[in-house]
Amino acid sequence: MSKFRVTMTVLGLALAATTAWGAGVHPGKESIEKSGYKGPETCEECHPGSAKGFLDTVHWKHASKVTNVEGLNPKEEYGMKNRIYVMCNGNDIVNNLKEIPKSPVTGKSKFSGCNTCHPGNHLSDVGSTGAAAEAAVDCLVCHSTDYDFRQRKPFKNEKGEVVMGQDRSVKAALAIGKPTVKNCMVCHEAAGGGVIVKRGFTFTKETDAHAAKGLVCVDCHKAKNHKMPTGHDPNNWANDGVFVSCSDASCHGVKPHKDADLNRHCAKIACQTCHITRTGGAFAKDFTVWEQTPDKFYEPTTLKKEANETTPVYAWYNGTVKNAPHFIGPKGSKKDGKSKITPFKIFQGKAYYNKRTGELLSMDFAQPMSNGDTRAGVLSAAKTLGLKNPEKIAKEAVPGWQTIYFGSNHLVTKTKALYCANCHAPNGVLNFKDLGYTDKEILKLTSPELFMEKLAQKQKEDW
Amino acid sequence: MKKAVSVMVLVAVAALAILCFGSVASAGEEIKMVGVITKIEIAGKDAKTATATLKDNKTEQSVVITVEDDLTLDKFKDHRIVEGDEIRCKYEVIDGKNVSKLFRKTAGC
Ligand code: HEC
Ligand code: HEC
Ligand code: HEC
Ligand code: HEC
Ligand code: HEC
Ligand code: HEC
Repeated sequence: MSKFRVTMTVLGLALAATTAWGAGVHPGKESIEKSGYKGPETCEECHPGSAKGFLDTVHWKHASKVTNVEGLNPKEEYGMKNRIYVMCNGNDIVNNLKEIPKSPVTGKSKFSGCNTCHPGNHLSDVGSTGAAAEAAVDCLVCHSTDYDFRQRKPFKNEKGEVVMGQDRSVKAALAIGKPTVKNCMVCHEAAGGGVIVKRGFTFTKETDAHAAKGLVCVDCHKAKNHKMPTGHDPNNWANDGVFVSCSDASCHGVKPHKDADLNRHCAKIACQTCHITRTGGAFAKDFTVWEQTPDKFYEPTTLKKEANETTPVYAWYNGTVKNAPHFIGPKGSKKDGKSKITPFKIFQGKAYYNKRTGELLSMDFAQPMSNGDTRAGVLSAAKTLGLKNPEKIAKEAVPGWQTIYFGSNHLVTKTKALYCANCHAPNGVLNFKDLGYTDKEILKLTSPELFMEKLAQKQKEDW
Repeated sequence: MKKAVSVMVLVAVAALAILCFGSVASAGEEIKMVGVITKIEIAGKDAKTATATLKDNKTEQSVVITVEDDLTLDKFKDHRIVEGDEIRCKYEVIDGKNVSKLFRKTAGC
């Protein structure tokens, strides 16, 4: 094909698409109306390769190679599939979706498992490949605005296998579009065991400057071939190798302010430090003691706050991560020339440690959820992972705390952004001493000398 | 001295008035509860309001909650929240109605 013809074809297609989009209608609608929706194969007619491509993403694999975290094998893949930490003491492997043992009180069971947050059908599970996996992708959970979530539930099929249901109705397939905030929040909102537990943010016009402007998740997380850009949250390990940052040239650049004083600070201070001054969600969980809920099942004891109800902790961060049994968080220092002062959502969790190795153990939730027996959960997980002497490990396991730093990258504010005195007054939000400043430097950094003139001028203008 | 006393009395009366008024209208008083949904009533796709009946875990009593925020209404419409779900709810009594200020499923993944 000549270059000209390619251009013309692309232009023609684009034009057709734009006109169709102008009316807000997915160009594939008519065809789907006629021939029905049979899953990804229907989409593949016009979007060839999309299902196969999807299988090679974090959203399908819940894992990827990870290069910035210490102590990992560079040849292995890591993510929610196999990670062991104290936000979710289970993972897709040890806490695989299943029917939990019947409650000794009510005689009832229920389905539970980490891989409920996977767009497959569980028969084709996290990381599966091949034709069956391609056919199992739930395209509509991310692309339909008319999805019936009663369908997205685990059930047992005639063979007794546990299947994750999907809405594959024509009705849902007729409402195709680019993912809305809701499509993403289906999973992201309730990660970690309940609404806002893990991430601590809501994305509404009240809580986020970008939401107030009508932006949606994928305006920033612009995916190509379903590779979803992410950042460097020390506890978001799996990534598709593409990244997004506030200071990307296509967003704000490195000098976004008219005020040169603010721009100068960007060399040492992350945008989030001034623009995301609050956080929320769970701040402590105890996986060694589960609380009975009214339905007589059990849940890990969890302390939590609303979005914007807690304050972050600040640390130097150079993008690499310390990964120890009792701490997973940012590495960096004032002196390395690469770090910036960055805000984090701090979280602490109590779980069991291996008495012999000191390593954090993981837990299957089925047993504790049924009867509160947390060591039985440790035993089941140790067996699944093929640890030697699982009974001994579970019996001797030692409870202990792990501190985790999560990135805090949403809940952006302009009007409440930190200004000079929020940091440079003696009661400012930064603890300069902990951040490595000398007493002499601190004296200077906490003197009104730095901001007196500027703030006096501003005060005059404001009134 | 006399003047000071009368000012104080005035302040006290004013404060009392505010308190009384406050409690009568019960404005700003949020009631918290956790309960299981026994019924959701919503009038179609464009509904701007819905009611959900929650059975309070503590008292076992049924409380009818009026829901007006778009996010929760949407969750009723697409069935992300359904009967049988356990809910953490905060509400305020306004004109005799229990108006929801927070309506969250307790479970997650
Ligand atoms: C009959 C052909 C046809 C079918 C079938 C079809 N589409 Fe499309 N779709 C198109 C065309 C044409 C466009 C506009 C051009 C483009 O972006 O590729 C489009 C656009 C899209 C877009 C928007 C892309 C953007 O950047 O905004 C998404 C998402 C999408 N389709 C998903 C799907 C899904 C999911 C299915 C299966 C349920 C599907 N399509 C089935 C023809 C089709
Ligand atoms: C986890 C959510 C998710 C799932 C599941 C998903 N998509 Fe997408 N899809 C996205 C995102 C995000 C984009 C990029 C939207 C943007 O940037 O405008 C996208 C874009 C697309 C596009 C536009 C062209 C492109 O590739 O960028 C098509 C077509 C598409 N998806 C089809 C599908 C099909 C078919 C399936 C099922 C096999 C599917 N999607 C499953 C999230 C998803
Ligand atoms: C079916 C559930 C589900 C849906 C729907 C979903 N996600 Fe995710 N997402 C996950 C899970 C689980 C992870 C964690 C994977 C891991 O760390 O192993 C994740 C990770 C991510 C990450 C970080 C890792 C990466 O891929 O870069 C980003 C960013 C992200 N999601 C954005 C989105 C956006 C934007 C949408 C909406 C288009 C979306 N997600 C929809 C389940 C989902
Ligand atoms: C204004 C742009 C923007 C919008 C809108 C946005 N994000 Fe992000 N998001 C980012 C940036 C930037 C990062 C990474 C920052 C970093 O680590 O430097 C990020 C990080 C993430 C991560 C990785 C974990 C973390 O918190 O760091 C996830 C998951 C995520 N976003 C999901 C979402 C979802 C879901 C939505 C919609 C509800 C959304 N984002 C909306 C910009 C945005
Ligand atoms: C030292 C604190 C600080 C840092 C660091 C900082 N900002 Fe700001 N920023 C502010 C304040 C304060 C305002 C509000 C100024 C105003 O209201 O005029 C602001 C305003 C803005 C605005 C709105 C500008 C306008 O004219 O409306 C944008 C966009 C912005 N910042 C982006 C960023 C980005 C991107 C970064 C990182 C590269 C960043 N900021 C780093 C404090 C900071
Ligand atoms: C987020 C907290 C924060 C805010 C807001 C902030 N600063 Fe700073 N400022 C710092 C830190 C930290 C340093 C030291 C940076 C370094 O290590 O080089 C600094 C350094 C400075 C210095 C250089 C001090 C020296 O070493 O001589 C000046 C001057 C200054 N800030 C003035 C201001 C003014 C004026 C404003 C308001 C426009 C402001 N700062 C807002 C945190 C802040």
